[in-house]
Amino acid sequence: MKTILLTIVCLLFTTIEATASDRCRDDVFLRRAYLTLTGALPSPQDCVKFIDDTNPNKREELVDFLLESELGLKYMQMHWGDILRIKSEFPSNLWPNGVQAYNRWIYEQLLNNVPYDQMVRDLLLSKGSNFRSPAANFYRGFQKRTPKNIYANINLLFLGNRNCTDNGYICFSQIAYKSTKEWKEEIVYIDIHKPLPWQKVSLECGAEFRPALGTDWRKNYVSWLTSHDNRRFAEVMVNRMWYWVFGKGIVNEPDDWREDNKPSDPELLKELTDYFLQHNFDMRALMKKILLSDQFNSKMAPEGSYIPQRLPAEVIVDAIASVTGIWSTYSSRVPEPFTFYPPKTRATHLGDATVSSSELELFGKVSRDVSLESQRNNTITSRQLLYLMNSSVLEKRIRKSPILQKIYINSPTIEDLADAITLRVLSRRATKEEITLYKEHMEQDNLPQMELAIDIMWTQINSNEFLYNH
Amino acid sequence: MRKIFLTIILLFTLCLTSQAQRAKSVILVYLDGGPAQTDTFDPKPEAGRNYHGNYKGVCKTNVEGIEIGEKLPLLAGMADKYSLIRSMTHGSNAHETGHYAMITGDTSGGAVVYPSFGAVISYMKRDSYKGVLPCYISVTSANSRFNEGGFLGNEYKSFDTGGKPEAEEYEVEGLVNQFADRKRMDKRMELLSKFETQPMDKCTIDSLRAINMEFIWGESREVFNLDNEPDSIRQRYGKSRLGQSCLVARRLVEAGVPFINVRMTGWDTHKKHFQKMNSMLPNLDKALSALIADLDCRGLLDSTIVLCGGEFGRSPKVLWEAPWNGGRAHFGTVFSYLVAGGGFHGGKVVGKSDKTGEKVAERPVRPCDLIGTVYLLMGIDPYGTLPHVSEGDLPILPSLKKDSYNDGLLYEIIDIKKPDHEK
Repeated sequence: MKTILLTIVCLLFTTIEATASDRCRDDVFLRRAYLTLTGALPSPQDCVKFIDDTNPNKREELVDFLLESELGLKYMQMHWGDILRIKSEFPSNLWPNGVQAYNRWIYEQLLNNVPYDQMVRDLLLSKGSNFRSPAANFYRGFQKRTPKNIYANINLLFLGNRNCTDNGYICFSQIAYKSTKEWKEEIVYIDIHKPLPWQKVSLECGAEFRPALGTDWRKNYVSWLTSHDNRRFAEVMVNRMWYWVFGKGIVNEPDDWREDNKPSDPELLKELTDYFLQHNFDMRALMKKILLSDQFNSKMAPEGSYIPQRLPAEVIVDAIASVTGIWSTYSSRVPEPFTFYPPKTRATHLGDATVSSSELELFGKVSRDVSLESQRNNTITSRQLLYLMNSSVLEKRIRKSPILQKIYINSPTIEDLADAITLRVLSRRATKEEITLYKEHMEQDNLPQMELAIDIMWTQINSNEFLYNH
Repeated sequence: MRKIFLTIILLFTLCLTSQAQRAKSVILVYLDGGPAQTDTFDPKPEAGRNYHGNYKGVCKTNVEGIEIGEKLPLLAGMADKYSLIRSMTHGSNAHETGHYAMITGDTSGGAVVYPSFGAVISYMKRDSYKGVLPCYISVTSANSRFNEGGFLGNEYKSFDTGGKPEAEEYEVEGLVNQFADRKRMDKRMELLSKFETQPMDKCTIDSLRAINMEFIWGESREVFNLDNEPDSIRQRYGKSRLGQSCLVARRLVEAGVPFINVRMTGWDTHKKHFQKMNSMLPNLDKALSALIADLDCRGLLDSTIVLCGGEFGRSPKVLWEAPWNGGRAHFGTVFSYLVAGGGFHGGKVVGKSDKTGEKVAERPVRPCDLIGTVYLLMGIDPYGTLPHVSEGDLPILPSLKKDSYNDGLLYEIIDIKKPDHEK
C-alpha cells in the first residue's frame, strides 16, 4: 500500500515537474501574451513588474487584464475587420463613414463581450442605412451582390465551407439596396413582397425550411446556423481563435473544413467546443482558456511545443514605432470625409485596409479583398530584411529616437545601456554574454557610447527574437 | 495521328511565342489622377473655348496628319517613334475603379481581385529572370489604393524605391544608407550573427541576408546612382521628379529589369487646371521625349515598351463655373494612351474620339486590349491563366474572350499577325 502511494506521489511529482520544466519563462509569457492579445509589446515597466511579481496567479490575472484592455479589444477588432473585409475602397467600397460605423459596432460587441451567436445573428439579420445601422455594412461590402455570392461568404465565414452547393441562398434573395440623397449612403432592406420560391430550402446537412410569405427569410437560416445543435458553427469559431493565437488551426486552413481535411487533434477540438457551448459562446472565456492552456504556456519548440510565428505586418510596424518612439502618421484621401488619424495611431487600429504605408505593404498587411485567413502572409522575405538592415527610414528612426537618447543619458555603464535597450526592444534583461559582445563591438572600433547604443538597437530590431512571437 | 497533330500544334505555339518575345522590359509612365487627353494627345482646337479652354493651339508633329497638344513640342518632333490610342475606354469615373481597370485589365465587380499587370509580368518571369534587382520596381512608389499583388500575393508586388531621384542623393530604400558604410555594416552583421542564438528560421533568414548584402554592395547600387550620368543627360530629362525618375527607369531597363512603374501624382486637376498644366506639361514633354529618344539611340527602344497615361482622362468640357473655376472632371468614357517601342509601331493613331472628345467615335480600346497586347509582345499568352488559391486557374485577362468579336488586341500597330480564331 505504502509503495503504491509512494509511486503515485512520485508519478505525480514527475508529471508536475515535467510540466513545470516545459513551461516558458515569465518574461517570455508576458511578451507572448501581449503580442497575441494586443499586438503590442509590453512596456519596460510592465516587464519588470511582471518578472518580479511573486503572485502565483499572475499569468491568469495578466490574461484577464489584457482581454478587457482597450489594446486587447482593438486587436480583436482588427481580426474581425480582416475577415469581414472592412475597407473604404475597392473591392468592399464601404467608404470612410461606413467603415467607421462598422468598426465602432464591432468594438462595442467586443467591449460588451456579446456572445458569438448573438453577434452573428445581429450581423446577418441587419438592415437599414449603412451609416445608421452599422451591421448592415455586412451586406453592403459585396462587389457582387447576388444571393449566391452573399451566401457563399456566410458559409466561408461561419461554417468554414469553401464550396457550398445547396440552395440556402434562397434565404438571402430578398436583400435589396436603395440609395438616399446622402453621399454614399445606402439602405439595405428586405423585399418582403418577393414571391415565394418554388422549391424548399434544403441544406447539405439535411436541414430544411420553407420560407413564408411576408417574412424575412434570413431568419430561418440564421436561427438554424447559430443554434447549439449546429455544432460546426461553434467549432469553426473555436478553431479560428486557436488559429489567431497559434497561427495554425486544429483544422487548417481554418476556413477550409472538408471531409478530407481532418482536425489534427479531435480531442482538443471537442474539449474546446464543449467549453465554448457550455459558456454560451463567450468569446472572452474561450480566449482565456486557450491562453492558459499548456500549449500556450509551453517553451518554444523543439524544447517545448510552442511554434514561433513571424509578427503580422501591423504589429512589426507598431513595434518598431514603440521601441524608437517615432510613429508613422496615417491619413486617407478617400472621400468622404478625408481621414487624418491622430499622431501615434497604431497600425493595428487603422480599421481600414485602404489606409496603408509602404512599410505595411512591405510586411504584408492584409488587403482585405477576401474573407480568407490565408490572406495574411507572414513569410519573411529578403525585402523585409533589407528594410531592417539598411533602409535610411529605419536608420533615421533609431538615430533620432527620443527613447534611445533618454536611455543613453540615463545609462552610466554599458550594462545599464544594454539592459534598458533589451527591456524596451526584446522585453527581457540583457545577458552577461551579450554585454561582453557589446563591449567587444565598441572597443574594436572605438565607437562612442551613443553609436554603440544605435548598433545595439539596430541589432536587436534585426534579430529574429524581435521579429517573431516566440 | 493524334500525336502528330499535337506536335504540330506545339511547334506552332512555340513559333508564335518566339516570334512574340520582342519586348524585354516595360516602362509604364503613370500619370496618377488622370491627365487631360484634350490637352495632351487628343487636342480639339475646333471644339470651341468650352472644350479646348486656354489651349487653342496645337503642335503639328513630324508625322503627316497627327497633331498633339500645344504644350508638347518636344514630343511633337518625334511622333514617328510612338503611336497614340485615342479611344481608350472603361467608363469608370472613380479613381479606385478606374485605376483598377487600367492596371489589371479586369473590370471591377467580380469577386476576385486581380493583380496589376506589373505583378503578372513579375510572376510570369519568376523563373527566367535572374537579376539581383527586383523584377518589378516602382519609382518611387506604387499606388496603394488596391493591392498590386492581387490574388497572386505579396511576393509579386512592386519594389518601391522611395527617395527622391531629383535630389542631391537618391536614397533608395534599403540600398543607400548614408550612416552606414561598408565597414560599419560588416561590423553590425558580425554583431548580429553572434547575438542571434535563437534557432527560429535562422537558416532562411541568414541566406536572405546574404542575398541582401550582395544587392546592397553589388552592381545594383551603381544602377541607382545617377551621378554616373553625364550632366547633359540629366538636364535633358529635366531635373523634375518625373524627369529623373524616367532616367532611373532607363538605367533599370539597361540592367534588365522587366517592369518599371514610373508614377507621377498631381494630375487630378479639378481646379486651376490650366495653371497646373502650364507647369506640368513641359515637365512631361521633356521627360517622356528624352526617355524615348534616349532608349532609341541606345538601341533599347526595340525591346522596351513605353506606355504613358493615367487611370482615366478628364472631361473634354471645361468647368468654368465655381467652385471649379476652369477645371476638368474625371472622365473614363474616352481618353488617350501613348505607346512606344518593344514592337509597337510608331507614327500611328488607333481609334478616334468624336468632335468634342466626349464619345468614342471609332475602334474602342479597352484596358484589357492594351494590356493583352503588352503581354503578347512580352511573350505571355493573353489568353493564358493564373493560379488562384481557392478558385483554381483563372484567365489572365478575364475580359478577353478568344471567340468574341469584341476583342481588340492592337494588331494594327504590332508585327504579330492576328490568329485565325480571333478574326
